[in-house]
Amino acid sequence: MNPLLAQFLAEAADLLSQVDEGLLQLERDPSDPELVNEVFRAAHTFKGSSGLFDFPELTRLTHAAEDLLDAVRSGKLSLDSGMTDDLLAAFDLIRGWLAYVTTHERLPATAGPAGQSLIVKLRGPLGGEQATVNPSAATVPAGPVIDRAPDWLSLFDEEWLEKSATWLSSTSATMRFIRFTPDQGCFFRAEDPLHLVSQVPALAQLDLIQPFEWPPPEEYDEYACLIGFVLATRAARGELDYLFRYVPDQIEIVELNGDAIRRHLTGEEPPEPRADESAVAAAAQSQAENLELARDAYAILTAAQRSLTFGESLTGVRLSAVARSVAAAAAALGVPVETADPDAETLNAQLTSLLTEARPTPDETPPPPPPVERAAPVDRGRADDPGGQVGTRILKVDQEKVDHLMELVGELNVAKNGLTFLADAAEEEFGSRVLSRRIKDQYSGLHRIAEELQAAVMDVRMLPLSVAFSRFPRLIRDLSRRLGKTVELVTEGEDTMADKDVIEALGDPLVHLVRNSLDHGIETSADRQAAGKAPAARITLTAVADGDAVIVEIADDGRGIDPDKVKRKAYEKGLISEEELETLTDSDAVDLVFRPGFSTADQVSDLSGRGVGMDAVRASVEKLGGAVTMRSQLGRGTSTRLRLPLSMAVTQVMVVSVAGQRFGIPVDLVVETVRVPSGELGRVLHQDVVVLRGEVVPVIDLARALDMPWTADPAADRAILIVSMHGQRVGLLVEQFHREVDVILKPMEGLLAYADEFSGTALLGDGLVLLVLNMKEVLSLAARAQ
Amino acid sequence: MPLELNETTATLSDVVTVDEVEPLVAWLRTTIKPKVNLRRCNHLHTGALQALLLFQPRITSSPTDAFLATQVLPLLRGSSGGPVLPESEPP
Repeated sequence: MNPLLAQFLAEAADLLSQVDEGLLQLERDPSDPELVNEVFRAAHTFKGSSGLFDFPELTRLTHAAEDLLDAVRSGKLSLDSGMTDDLLAAFDLIRGWLAYVTTHERLPATAGPAGQSLIVKLRGPLGGEQATVNPSAATVPAGPVIDRAPDWLSLFDEEWLEKSATWLSSTSATMRFIRFTPDQGCFFRAEDPLHLVSQVPALAQLDLIQPFEWPPPEEYDEYACLIGFVLATRAARGELDYLFRYVPDQIEIVELNGDAIRRHLTGEEPPEPRADESAVAAAAQSQAENLELARDAYAILTAAQRSLTFGESLTGVRLSAVARSVAAAAAALGVPVETADPDAETLNAQLTSLLTEARPTPDETPPPPPPVERAAPVDRGRADDPGGQVGTRILKVDQEKVDHLMELVGELNVAKNGLTFLADAAEEEFGSRVLSRRIKDQYSGLHRIAEELQAAVMDVRMLPLSVAFSRFPRLIRDLSRRLGKTVELVTEGEDTMADKDVIEALGDPLVHLVRNSLDHGIETSADRQAAGKAPAARITLTAVADGDAVIVEIADDGRGIDPDKVKRKAYEKGLISEEELETLTDSDAVDLVFRPGFSTADQVSDLSGRGVGMDAVRASVEKLGGAVTMRSQLGRGTSTRLRLPLSMAVTQVMVVSVAGQRFGIPVDLVVETVRVPSGELGRVLHQDVVVLRGEVVPVIDLARALDMPWTADPAADRAILIVSMHGQRVGLLVEQFHREVDVILKPMEGLLAYADEFSGTALLGDGLVLLVLNMKEVLSLAARAQ
Repeated sequence: MPLELNETTATLSDVVTVDEVEPLVAWLRTTIKPKVNLRRCNHLHTGALQALLLFQPRITSSPTDAFLATQVLPLLRGSSGGPVLPESEPP
């Protein structure tokens, strides 16, 4: 299922229960404005999010419910139990639909009519004016009803109208004419009226509605939609209703035949808008066939009467809307009425006669009076009816609880590891091999469960990288606009999952890198064109999973890094020696941008370039246990690659001992472990080295670096751990290798916080505290010691 | 690239979205006697159409897209206000 839809369904379940509860409380205490507000807000949210999906019936029904609640909220109406029943019925119906959506991903086929009758009822207390649009649209009789030609027909080309009228008359066919007036702000809702128009099937003619007066060019707002369209099409009414289903208030559709157009052309008044014989005949016929229709019409009439007798006097547009709906309903019942120039009294009188006239129709079961019909859905949707499950159930859990669970899993692992020591002790100290084996059996069972538990908790903490990427479209849009550059953002692999801590920690470095790309990497459109590139630059954010790490890459196709410029700058700032200036390779030069105090931009801008950028990025990524590398091609672009562990909760460390003390080294850094005879250790200048497969690797005595007195047994082989830091290999002379363990790393805090050479402590299974080395600091410590 | 702006000629191609409207309007504002090439344009956002209506640049080549050529281009050609000229068929 579409993840957006899944989320909507999950939220909908919450909102629905909120509405239910609110409505029931409201019935008991209808005067509480806070309660009304709450229910209204829930309904409003619901309507808003339902609009994201292709469920027009759902949106329409919630819209009707929202309008009723809005009227109650503003004090125009007071909620009675009838309305509450209608509202509850509406939301019960919605619940049923959503249960269907959960399994079928679409609304049930019956949604249209079922929703329609409820909409009519919900609109009833409001005067039912909205109901007119939908019932007449949804229940248009089988035969075409010829509308009166509207004034806007004159926007069409006269000659074309003339030709069309002749053709339509001689073929006794009709055409649909549409006026589409998008509102000014429609571009902001990502609507494109012309696109909608281009989708109209069998479009015969398109013309413009231009503004009375165009604004002067300097005041012209390109984001305000000023124009509209009139169009003529042979597409069926249903196709048009479907196509324009999201903008029903912006379109007006009329059905015209040749005579109607000709009357418009000659300026002649139509004989009688509703007295068209064929229309009435068709309506009467369809009425006989369709009992539902008659019922709907009856409901409209009741609603119209209710709104007329409601007390508030209806005037102008609303009154004529009611009048139109009455006319449509009356026509559907086969009793046409004259509503050309309505006023409230005559309309009311007509309604009363219509209602009495329509009720005892002999050849059909009389339409049930409104109260009975209203009670029906309430009976159907009893509270004890399970009504299907809406969405999958989703728990919202406090982040801290998950963190706590993770900690407990870590403790469990440590406690579990203690069993292996116990098994050894059982055998060695108490001499019971059988007991030892039984403990080991127990351990393996426990181990499996603990692993699964850990995987499950980790899974809970996993988030897609789209969470970290989501802020970039906006950021890039704003920044590129400010810098006057055209930039296109491409994201790939947003659904790659990583631990939430990693995702959270990734945010700042990513923002830094993207800003750097925008500010320094990407040229202005003019510069790009001069360099023969496309005027719009492209920034690509890619995420891929790589074993137990996730790789995030930020690439741009900008000007790239000039290695010579970087070297010169670094030399000027005293970051490298003159010798390095000559010898550094280009890729090493690019790496210089990560040095503290380096900034290449000639001018410090407000975006980046204060010289705190890249070294901060490297530091924060390394703090996460990750690595940053940068590649750049002059004139072609730069790509920065962040490699981060999938999860930070558990760290794999290699345990080694130095001078009798055990230390942990992150496994990510370890390349290999070697034992070399002491004679093979060479010395170059003041540095011990070992030659491995033709490569000279410097060796650091870890004991000396950590200031722990220890002399190696001269006869024994030397144990050397080869680690890789920033692509360089370094050997660490240690006393002994132990195994790899998974540990929960606790940062150095309190009195130990100054000790930079350790990245944290961890508790081992036998109760020993393991100090985990921060290799970067240890190496610089060793460099200072020499 | 949907929008290529040169000194006097703008070339619109593929689908012109709302994102292209602002640069297009900025270009139309500053360009004297602008010319617009629509040949490879498949869709014009309403905002872009509106801008072309207001600034009335010369359309140098008509679009190959059927909808644009038969329905939209006549609107641009005859957009001096009032009724659309009868000879508005694309040449």
